[in-house]
Amino acid sequence: MLGIRWDTDFLAALGKARDAGRPVYQDFWFDG
Amino acid sequence: MNTGPYSDPAVAEFINGNFVPVRTECFWERPTDLMRRFGIQWTPTFLVHGPDGKEHHRFVGYVPVDDLVAHLRLGRAKILYDTDRHGEAIPHFEAVLSNHPDAGAAPEAAFLRGVAGYKSGHDPKELRRAYDLLSSRYPQSEWARRAEPYSAIPL
Repeated sequence: MLGIRWDTDFLAALGKARDAGRPVYQDFWFDG
Repeated sequence: MNTGPYSDPAVAEFINGNFVPVRTECFWERPTDLMRRFGIQWTPTFLVHGPDGKEHHRFVGYVPVDDLVAHLRLGRAKILYDTDRHGEAIPHFEAVLSNHPDAGAAPEAAFLRGVAGYKSGHDPKELRRAYDLLSSRYPQSEWARRAEPYSAIPL
């Protein structure tokens, strides 16, 4: 199964978003 | 990383196909620059950003699959709405309503669809139709109350 291809670097994600013309979906999580 | 709603193949396909997804870990004892920048007070917190990094939509707390995808569709629509592309935003708001009529994001989508319709075509009936939809389908929502002034617009 193809899972979500997460980035972990917000700035890198913004660069990809600009290149692809897509929005960024950011999930703030806590490993409690 | 891909647990809960993220384990649903349809959710993964939707996110991969429409967004650049990023997961950002929070540390409460030493908040990160991103936590401070976006005022993160609780997790999970979900943001939809335009490609310039500006935040356009936020939701906090666990959401099941239907609500998650509805929020993502709404966030995508709000990027267009917030950047004056109201006509382009309309089909995205309508996609929330047609695909996720029972989702928590649906009443906001109905309200903003009406406003986007008015702003793109200058027809006040768009606002009245939004009121009619909200008062009939989502009468208990705050968005129905916000649209109440439009009830006086004649069709």
